[in-house]
Amino acid sequence: MLTPKRVKWRKQQRGRMTGRALRGSTLSFGEYGLQALEPCWMTNRQIEAARIALTRHIKRGGKVWIKVFPDKPVTKKPAEVRMGAGKGNPEFWVAVVRPGRVLFELSGVTPDVAKEALRLAASKLPIDTKIVSREEAQA
Amino acid sequence: MATKALTIPFELREKTGTSSAHALRAAGKVPAVVYGHGVEPQHVALDAKAFDEALHHGGRTGIVTLSENGKNVETALVREIQINPVSQKVFHVDLQRVGVHESVHAKLPVVMVGVARGVKDSGGVMDVIAHELEIEGPADELPDRLEIDVAGLGIHEHVVAGDVKLPKGFKMLTAADTTVVVIEASRTASQVEEAALPAEQLQPEVIGQKSEGE
Repeated sequence: MLTPKRVKWRKQQRGRMTGRALRGSTLSFGEYGLQALEPCWMTNRQIEAARIALTRHIKRGGKVWIKVFPDKPVTKKPAEVRMGAGKGNPEFWVAVVRPGRVLFELSGVTPDVAKEALRLAASKLPIDTKIVSREEAQA
Repeated sequence: MATKALTIPFELREKTGTSSAHALRAAGKVPAVVYGHGVEPQHVALDAKAFDEALHHGGRTGIVTLSENGKNVETALVREIQINPVSQKVFHVDLQRVGVHESVHAKLPVVMVGVARGVKDSGGVMDVIAHELEIEGPADELPDRLEIDVAGLGIHEHVVAGDVKLPKGFKMLTAADTTVVVIEASRTASQVEEAALPAEQLQPEVIGQKSEGE
């Protein structure tokens, strides 16, 4: 699963996820991509599940790019603990996704395989997405 | 090359800024700027429908004619299009004035033609490294795209920018040794999964914090 190797601080403030993606909203490497239509905190487990769904469907051939990285730690206080006494422990990592962000890219497979693989990957994610293609973008 | 002359009606806009641009978009227009030829840049509003149609008929790379009140005023190239990534609506366009026969720089999309030998026979994967190449040539003869025949490519073979055939009168500006497309050996899903990171969540090292062993 994706996690940072080194961090400057163990815990982070929550921040905001309003607005739309200002970077990473176009296809950079592949022919097809999966674009987020809603904001979310995407966990490394969700990203991994989507990646596995993608690679299992395309079986052999093709190349996959993961264009989000979970670099934000999320903390949680243990169950049945009273409020106060400091911030909880880091539990998992998330990527802050804003609408428009291209999450995965894919190339080297037929359009039908690419679309089905991306549909399966999308079903592992907590948000609405759409499939984008370079062909459509250039039309 | 654009198949027909593309004309986009425009009108000059006197007000600039966020609220006037919002009002223009609501009225079915696209705010744009026309610059070049040493003349002061002009703020204009294009007809959104006509602009969309021009884009679909080669206006992305070809020359377009701007017309005001039915009169053709000048010719230009679309240099940048700002698009809302979710709604796909155009919200601003940069146009550069060019003469019809003027020599211009342009970035053109690359399109692969045929199925590579390495993909067909050996199950390789075609990886396009450079999706756009920059060329220089007469504005009125700019092609829509650059086609590269990949049928003869085997595994681990590639095409560089210098190998791309250009129409007569055009010059490649992208460095000749830039790799455009390469045929790679494919990895199976199981190989990809083996190469993936371990499932266990590792605690990252905190920069500047000494570990317990030190």
